[in-house]
Amino acid sequence: MLSFEPYGNPTYFALLGVALLPLMIGLLYGKRSRLYETLISIFFLVLTFGGPKWTQGVALIIYILYEVALTWGYAVYRKHQNSGPIFYLMVILAIIPLTIVKVTPAVENGQASLIGFLGVSYLTFRAVQTMMETRDGTLKDYQVMTFLQFMLFFPTISSGPIDRYRRFEADYRSVPDREKYLGMIQKGIRYIFVGFLYKFILAYYFGTMLMPKLQVMAMHSRGGFLDLSWPVLGYMYAYSADLFFDFAGYSLFAVGTSYIMGIATPMNFNQPWRSPNIKDFWNRWHITLSFWFRDFIYMRLVFWFMKHKVFKKPTTTANVTYIINMLVMGFWHGVTWYYITYGLFHGCALVINDTWLRYKKKHRASVPHNGFTQVFAIFLTANMVCFSFLIFSGMLDKLWFH
Amino acid sequence: MAKRLLRIFGPLILAAILVFAVLAMPVTWGFSHVSAARERQAAVSLSPNVLRGKHMKEQALKDGYVPFFGSSEWSRFDPMHPSVLAQKYKRSYRPFLLGARGSQSLTQYFVMQNIQGELRNKKAVFVISPQWFVKNGTRKDAFGFYYSQLQTAEWLTHFRHDAIDQYAAQRLLQMPAANSDHFIYAALQCVAKGEKLTDFQRFYLQTRKNMLTQEDQFFSGIDLPSQNLNRVNQQAKKLPTHYSYSALDRLGGQLGKAATGDNRFHISDKFYKQGLKKELKTGNLKNFQKNLSYTKSPEFADFQLCLDQFSRLNTNVLFIIPPINARWQKYTGLSATMLKQFDQKIHYQLQSQGFNNIVDLSNKGNVPYFMTDTIHLGWRGWLAVDKKVNPFLSKQQPQPHYAISDKFYSKQWQNLAPSDLKQYEADNK
Repeated sequence: MLSFEPYGNPTYFALLGVALLPLMIGLLYGKRSRLYETLISIFFLVLTFGGPKWTQGVALIIYILYEVALTWGYAVYRKHQNSGPIFYLMVILAIIPLTIVKVTPAVENGQASLIGFLGVSYLTFRAVQTMMETRDGTLKDYQVMTFLQFMLFFPTISSGPIDRYRRFEADYRSVPDREKYLGMIQKGIRYIFVGFLYKFILAYYFGTMLMPKLQVMAMHSRGGFLDLSWPVLGYMYAYSADLFFDFAGYSLFAVGTSYIMGIATPMNFNQPWRSPNIKDFWNRWHITLSFWFRDFIYMRLVFWFMKHKVFKKPTTTANVTYIINMLVMGFWHGVTWYYITYGLFHGCALVINDTWLRYKKKHRASVPHNGFTQVFAIFLTANMVCFSFLIFSGMLDKLWFH
Repeated sequence: MAKRLLRIFGPLILAAILVFAVLAMPVTWGFSHVSAARERQAAVSLSPNVLRGKHMKEQALKDGYVPFFGSSEWSRFDPMHPSVLAQKYKRSYRPFLLGARGSQSLTQYFVMQNIQGELRNKKAVFVISPQWFVKNGTRKDAFGFYYSQLQTAEWLTHFRHDAIDQYAAQRLLQMPAANSDHFIYAALQCVAKGEKLTDFQRFYLQTRKNMLTQEDQFFSGIDLPSQNLNRVNQQAKKLPTHYSYSALDRLGGQLGKAATGDNRFHISDKFYKQGLKKELKTGNLKNFQKNLSYTKSPEFADFQLCLDQFSRLNTNVLFIIPPINARWQKYTGLSATMLKQFDQKIHYQLQSQGFNNIVDLSNKGNVPYFMTDTIHLGWRGWLAVDKKVNPFLSKQQPQPHYAISDKFYSKQWQNLAPSDLKQYEADNK
């Protein structure tokens, strides 16, 4: 039985090319065949979740049925009534599977949960978002079939980008005109090829060739202050480069494939290493995730705090929400001290950044702003981010506790 | 539209054709030459890429290097290491070290597959580690680490239908690594069942072999580690200008004494302090090998693959059986009787088939400064090896006469209790 990591090897891309060819021809002639799209989706889902990984496949099917029942049920209910507690209950029910998957390794000595599968987080984000927009009333016409296509859209199922139901639906229901679609193909192909460079050359170099060596060196050089050494610094940069090129490469594949299917899935990265501050960084790094957190956690919390007048000053509201927001993101990565510390670190960084920007605005005359400060800001931000990734990598955990 | 499509897909198609052409065509593209300096480097690099590849090994063996099959002992570079002695005293041979931590018989069998021309009617050295012969044989992850599609493809393009191939295919199918190419996996299933390969399978394997051969030519020389060659050069400086066994043996003792300090096992202090000391404090190591046995293992059949291959290629092989540090053995409770039994079993497998060049050092575990650490040869141990290896490789040797027996692939042999060995010998006379 064939079984693949999505975008994992040349065979997968060859199969992808063959499967997409009829679809491409169809779209060029203004036709979108739902049936064909569904068939190749199922084919690639079986490749990803079948064979030796069939238990994941079963978990996926049960999970999907569960989320469909919840979102559909809520959409029907919402047409007639709109009670807060019911909404909260539904959201909690929707995130229970993800919570179990994330907490299980922490309480079961690192053992993965039986109900987990590749991409459970990303599906939960999509389901919760559908529910929230139903509650807001912005999503009025919930359709089970569209929801299924949206959830199970194979190019993005395993690791995003996290699309939005209404945006996806608009693309999915229409066929781009030929000129526009040719542009999409061109972009799609380019994205996939940049992805090859990122994932199979750069991430391979940093992640597979450099990182293990640096890790061994770092473990051998323990004993100094906090067991830190030069190899740890090298590891920090190599890990950051690997994380970026691996994930950005993967995202480029997912977006590129979507484009070829005539779906303009949003981009996940936008030159994050040139961010002058941490807030800007989160607008450029894993964009669909941070925007999801912004829209469905940060904004909602800020409104709730303001509505209930929890804090006097709006800045306090913003600061507390930053910390909560990033802590939730930390927990989402997994219940380990380093993911949570990573979240807290970014929460604090956002608070400090906001304070500094306010200070700078007030004292515009005395704070210099020139080419040098710009470069310095970018340098500082990039290094802070790399340091946070060192925490995130779990390397400190290995250095100190193993 | 056609024009625009051509602009988008033209370069892609062209690139695909070019890449495929370069990789699939059996042309050497002028990469065939390997400089003497790179051969020196590759011979001691212990790099997994070199082991998995073909090009470097093949070229070096053609230029007078001799394959030294083994495992982790090769990384113990001290002045008496075979590579250092051969370089310093300008021997007529140079060792090409094949194997590193975790490489066992099955890996070595596949390593031999694409250097057959260089093994035929030649000589080789083979270090048999008793530690390989544990209950489950080679570790699947270690085998996977050294697994080479190139070697497997090469083997599948020249295999014959007999016990050796069937056993090798069955054994390979038990390894997760075999699954890395679906077509190779399917071909292995055919070989394991004794079926013929289809024309398509043969075509695929041939094409795949060509591609992997090209890849190996292009890439296996990249990132060749140089630190081991530097080590060899460093260690050679510590040796006297002229070879004298007694002088070197004295020097080995002195070097050993200086390096071992006063730890309880009389082993390299560097090794001792690298984790072992910490581990000893927990007390977990005391008697932890009490129930370990090297007498029943699939490794005996894997090892037979190597013997079978040597016999087919008429390779004259010198086998070395290293000892275990006696102090370590006593401390960890490893049974001396069991080690003796292992020794008898492996001797029978070798000698009953005509492999009579055996350097059995298994009773030297208590000779001072013979072992650099718990299970690896060092200083005087390496010198004892050299004493046999040098004449074997430098002088003309009588033609070996091998008489291979397929019974060594059987489960019965793999799991034969040492107490039954005498009876077995009598039955099979």
